[in-house]
Amino acid sequence: MPGVILKGLSKRYGDVGAVNDLSLEMKPGELLALLGPSGCGKTTTLRLVAGFLTPEAGEIWVGDRCLSSPTAVVPPERRRMAMIFQSYALWPHMTVAQNVAYGLRFKPGIARSDRDARVREMLRVVQLGGYEHRYPGELSGGQQQRVAVARALVVEPEILLLDEPLSNLDANLREEMRFEIRRLHETFGITTLYVTHDQSEAMVISDRIAVLQAGRVAQVGTADDLYHRPRTRFVAEFIGRTNVVDGVATSFDAVAHGALRLHVAPGGLQPGTRVALSIRPHQVQLSAPVEGAEGANTFRGTVRRAAFLGDTIDYEIAIAGSDLVLRAAAAPTPRFEVGAAVVLRVAPGACVPLGDGD
Amino acid sequence: MDRSIAVWVGAAVALVVLIALPLGWLGWLSVSGEHGTTLAHYRDAFTDPALQRALWNTVVLAFWVGLVSVAIGAPLAWLTARTDVPGRGLIRGLVLASFVTPPFLGAFAWVMLAGPNAGILNTFWRSVTGADAPLLNIFTMPGLVFVVSIYTFPYVYIMVANTLALIASDLEEAAAILGAGRLAVARTVTLPMVLPALASGFILAVLQALALFGSPAILALPAGFHTVTTQIWSLFQFPPKVEQAAAFSVPLLLATALLLDIQKRLLGRRGYAAVGGKGGQRRIIALGRWRWPALAACLVVMSGAIFLPYGVLAKGAFSRAWAQPLSRDNLTLANFAFTFFEYGSTRAAIVNTLELAVLTACIGAAMVALLSYVTNRRLVVGHQLVAFLVLAPVVVPGVVLAVGLFIAYTRPPFVLYGTLWILFLAYLTKEMPVGYAQADATFRAIPADLEDAGRVLGAGRLRILKEITAPLAKSGIIAAWCFIFIGVIRELSASILLFTPSTKVMSVVIFDLKEEGQFGAISVLGLVMLGLTFATVALVQAALGRDVLGARR
Repeated sequence: MPGVILKGLSKRYGDVGAVNDLSLEMKPGELLALLGPSGCGKTTTLRLVAGFLTPEAGEIWVGDRCLSSPTAVVPPERRRMAMIFQSYALWPHMTVAQNVAYGLRFKPGIARSDRDARVREMLRVVQLGGYEHRYPGELSGGQQQRVAVARALVVEPEILLLDEPLSNLDANLREEMRFEIRRLHETFGITTLYVTHDQSEAMVISDRIAVLQAGRVAQVGTADDLYHRPRTRFVAEFIGRTNVVDGVATSFDAVAHGALRLHVAPGGLQPGTRVALSIRPHQVQLSAPVEGAEGANTFRGTVRRAAFLGDTIDYEIAIAGSDLVLRAAAAPTPRFEVGAAVVLRVAPGACVPLGDGD
Repeated sequence: MDRSIAVWVGAAVALVVLIALPLGWLGWLSVSGEHGTTLAHYRDAFTDPALQRALWNTVVLAFWVGLVSVAIGAPLAWLTARTDVPGRGLIRGLVLASFVTPPFLGAFAWVMLAGPNAGILNTFWRSVTGADAPLLNIFTMPGLVFVVSIYTFPYVYIMVANTLALIASDLEEAAAILGAGRLAVARTVTLPMVLPALASGFILAVLQALALFGSPAILALPAGFHTVTTQIWSLFQFPPKVEQAAAFSVPLLLATALLLDIQKRLLGRRGYAAVGGKGGQRRIIALGRWRWPALAACLVVMSGAIFLPYGVLAKGAFSRAWAQPLSRDNLTLANFAFTFFEYGSTRAAIVNTLELAVLTACIGAAMVALLSYVTNRRLVVGHQLVAFLVLAPVVVPGVVLAVGLFIAYTRPPFVLYGTLWILFLAYLTKEMPVGYAQADATFRAIPADLEDAGRVLGAGRLRILKEITAPLAKSGIIAAWCFIFIGVIRELSASILLFTPSTKVMSVVIFDLKEEGQFGAISVLGLVMLGLTFATVALVQAALGRDVLGARR
C-alpha cells in the first residue's frame, strides 16, 4: 500500500491561483482529510491527484511512481485509483451490479464468474445484498451512496479519493455514513484522501487533517493537534469555536491586551511583538465572585448573554476594565444569569499563541 | 364547476372545428362510396404502381434524412456542448438559422446552385475542369435527401445538445478513474446516455421528411418521381380525386402518430438525467490541435445550409441573370420592381400572409396562454385531457390537415373554402402545439407560490393574474406569438392545397414563380421571408433572454 507525496503543486484558473505551491505527504494506509472553506483549493487538489488536471508546477508521487508533473500526467484510467464523487456519479443506464462491476472490466485477469462473485461480496459488505438488479434511480440517497462506495472499493484501488461524499445526505444519514466509511477504511486500509468542508466530519473520519487556506496547507495534524495546538488564527477559528485575543508580548510567557495580562505556557514569545492567543470557550472556567479571587489569568466579568444548550451553557462575558468579550462554555450548574458578576480563570496552557499565518 | 364547463365548452368547440371535423371528414370520405362504405379508395390508392412508388420514395427519403441528420446533428451538438471548438456561439447561431430557414427556399437556392445545367457550382466546375458532365445534380434522390437534411438536422442537434448539457462530467470521470480509456468511456457511458435523445432526434427528422411538401415538389417532380405529399397534391389537380387523396392521407397520419408515440416512450424510459446529489458540472474537453479542423468541418456543413443558399438568393435578387457572374452590368434592382409592382399577385400575397400571420399569432397566443394557464394551475376538471387535445395536431402533417379542411369546409354548414378563414384554421391548428409547448413551459416556470403569496396578502385572483402572473409570463407568451408567426409565414404544405387565386400567400406565390422560372423574383420574396423570420427570431431572443434552441446566453 503506497503513500502519496505532493510536492509544490500549483494550478491556476485564469488569474486565480486555486492551488498554490502546495506540499503534503500521505502515509501508506492513512486516511487524510483535506479540510477547508469553499474556494480553498481542496477539490482542485483532489482532481490533480486523480489526474483530471495537469499541474502548472510541482509533482505527485505515489510510491515510486511520479504520476503528475507539468510535462507528463498519467491519465486517470492508469492511476490505479478509485474516486467517490459528490454527486455519486452513478450511471443511470446501468443496474447496481453493472455499476459496481464496471471497474473490474478494466482489470486484467479477472474471470467473469469471479467478477460476479466479487460484486456480490462487495454489495454484501455495504449492506446492499439483493439490490443487484435495481437501477440507481430506484434507490434512496443513502443507498446510492453505498453503491458509489462499493463501486470504488471493489477494484481494490491503491488510492481512494472522496470528494465531499456525504454532503448530499440528510443529517442523520450523514452521521451514520461517517462511521461506515471509517469502518470500511479500517477493514480495507486503503490510502485515502477525503475532501470535506465539514470539520466534525473530518475529525470523525480521518487519521490526520490537512487544513487548506487559499491553495496552501495551513496546518497538518491529528484532530487533537489542530484543536489544541492550532498554529494560525485561521486554523484556530476553522476547527471548533474559539476566542482570539490580540495583544503584545511583554515577556517570553505573557501577553498584554490593554490593561489585561495573560500568561501562556512558557514558550518562545518575543517581547514587544504583536501576538494573538486562542482560548477555547470550554477552557474558560467560571465561578461566583468571592473576595480575594485574584491571581494569574483570573479576571472579573459580567454575563452579557447566556444560551442553554443542554449539556453546556454558552456564555458571553464582558471582562471588567477592558473591551474584551470572551465566550465560555460551562456546565449547566452553577448557573449564572445575564447581568451576574463572575470570575473567569484560564489556565496558561489553554492560551495558545498563534502565528500570523494570515 | 361552472368555470370548468365554460372552458370545456370553449375547448370542445375549438377542437371540433379545428380537428374533429376535418379529420372526421377525411376518414369518412376515405371509406365512403356511392353505395355506402367501401375500401375501394384504399385499394385504388395502394394497388396503383405510381402511388406505391411514391410511398416507397417517401420511406427512402425519410430514412436517409433521419440518418444524415443524425450524422450532422450529433457531432455538431457534441462539439458545441462539450468541446472548446472556437466560435461555438457562431455555430449555434448558424444551426438556429438553418432551423428557421423555410426548407423550400433552401431547395430553390440549391436548384440555382446545383441544377445540372445552369447551377452555379456546376458552371464553375465545368470552367475549371473543362468537363462536360455536371459535378452535382440536385434533381435526384440523394440531392433531395441532402437538401432536406441540411434543414432538418437541427432537430437532432437540439435533442442531443440539450441532453449532453444534462449529463454531468462526473459520470464520465467516474468511468475514467476506474480504468476506462476515452473510447471506452464514450462507448459505455456517454453514448448509452445520449442514445434515447439521438433516437428521438432521428424520429423527429424522419417526421419532418415525411410531412414535407416543398422540397420534394421542387426537386423530386422535375426528377420524375413523387413522394406521398406531392402525390396527394397531384391527386388534387384536375380532375381532383379527393377520396383517393383522403385514403392516401390516412397512412401518413397513422405513421406520424406511431413514430411520435415511439419517440415519447424513448424519452420517458428510466430517468436519464443525472441521478442523485448536486455537483454535476460539465467540463469542456480540450480538442488541442483538432480545434480549428473541427471548426472548419462545422463551417463546411453550414456553408451547405446557410452561406451558399443565402448567397445565391442574394445574388439572384440583385442580378439580371442569376447564373452569370456578378459584375456591374449584371447588378440591378429590376427584380424588386418586378416582384412588387409588376407581378400580379405578389402584393396581395404579402398582405394576406401578414394578415394571416398576425391574426393567427394573436388568437393562437391568447388561446395557448389561457389553456396552458388553466392546465398548469389545474383549474378545471380533466385538465390533462385539455393538454393532450391541444397537442394532438402535432401528429397531423400539413398536407393531411389540408385535405381534411378542404373536405370539411367546401360543403355546408361551413363553406370556408375560397376565403382566408380556411387558411387561418389550418395555420391555427398546425401551430397550436408549438405555441402551447412554449406557453406551458412559461407557466411551469412560475411557481404557484408566487401567486399564493399575493393572495395571502389580500389580492384577488384576477388582480394576481394582472399584477403578478401576467408580467412574469409576458415574455414567454411573446415568444409563443413569435413561434406561431414564424410558422405561418413559412407555411406551404397546407396552403398549397387550400389557396384560391384570391387567397394566395407568399409561399404559394414563390411556388407559382417557380413554374414560370422567375428565379429573380423568387430570390426577392425569399429574402423578404428570411428578413421577416429573422426579425421575429430576434424578438424572441430579446423576450426570452436565451437562444431559441434552448440555451441561456
